Amino acid sequence: MSQSLRPYLSCVRSTLTAALSLSNFASQASERHNVPEIEARTSPELILNPLTVSRNQEERVLIEPSVNSVRVSIRIKQADEIENILVHKFTRFLTQRAEPFFILRRKPIDGYDISFLITNFHTEEMLKHKLVDFIIQFMEDVDKEISEMKLFLNARARFVAESFLTPFD
Amino acid sequence: MAEFNWRTLNIDALDPESSYNFDLATLTPAVQPVSTQDVQTLSGQIKQLMRAGQSEEALKGALENPPYGADEQGKNIHLSTVTEILQSIRQSEMTPILQRIYQSEGGSEVCDTLMKYIYKGMGQGGPAAAHSAGKNVTPQQTGFTQAGGRSFGGAEGGGQAMSVLLSWHEKLVEISGPGSIVRAMSDRRTV
Repeated sequence: MSQSLRPYLSCVRSTLTAALSLSNFASQASERHNVPEIEARTSPELILNPLTVSRNQEERVLIEPSVNSVRVSIRIKQADEIENILVHKFTRFLTQRAEPFFILRRKPIDGYDISFLITNFHTEEMLKHKLVDFIIQFMEDVDKEISEMKLFLNARARFVAESFLTPFD
Repeated sequence: MAEFNWRTLNIDALDPESSYNFDLATLTPAVQPVSTQDVQTLSGQIKQLMRAGQSEEALKGALENPPYGADEQGKNIHLSTVTEILQSIRQSEMTPILQRIYQSEGGSEVCDTLMKYIYKGMGQGGPAAAHSAGKNVTPQQTGFTQAGGRSFGGAEGGGQAMSVLLSWHEKLVEISGPGSIVRAMSDRRTV
């Protein structure tokens, strides 16, 4: 792991651990409803201060806590246009399959690449530290995955160009 | 009235009794309004301390008098003062300084304030600011962008300042624990 990645991830880990103290909270507006307050925003008293953890200007995590839900949005590193397209495709692939992921939000919030929405039901059903581990693991892997895909893409492009241009040699 | 789409109307906003219109002032402890002038004077004094080499006193002075009641401009001035102090302190001195501050009178409150400033410092220079700063345009326009445009090449911009804040955060969590993060989230007095 690179030198500046470790403090970044440990900061995200401790912030997430602190933010994931959620409790069941029924909607104040309509009876027998229970909605994630960070999305519904039915009352300002239920929303806590959002926290940002950033490694540099392009890599950041926004953690928006509320009484019964936490929204975690990740901005993935993109150094050039190829990585931009790869990240777009990759996050699109995941968000289209959001249902079996439980905590994945179908649409990232503005300015970020992928968002998670963790509610109190998730923390009740699943182990809290495993949820934190999952997000940290995801952040670690996604960078690796993207740069790997970029290498494959470049290698394949070179191979295609070579075999395409051999007849003209 | 006919062209008004009443289905999109948030009726909770019109009801003064609804939770949507909850008065946050009842949750916020009373804070003294501070003028930008006062913040500037304070930051001048703190910078003087810092120039004299007393970074610990400067840090304590800055964190004991956070301008909760100041406007956006005053808060930003104080934030830049605090980050300047944090950057001036060497990595090896962080833990001893934090330990001394934490053990002193009212130390845990000072640490909570520091936590708020670390998060605020990391929240600065968001995507919008990065966009205006990024002047580098890719040489050829492919006309093939599916995701929204963003500025490339500036990825390492501000990386140095962030890594200082990240290492401060790590050391602070070691000393004051995750409770300090929870208080930074839940305190209505924002820095």
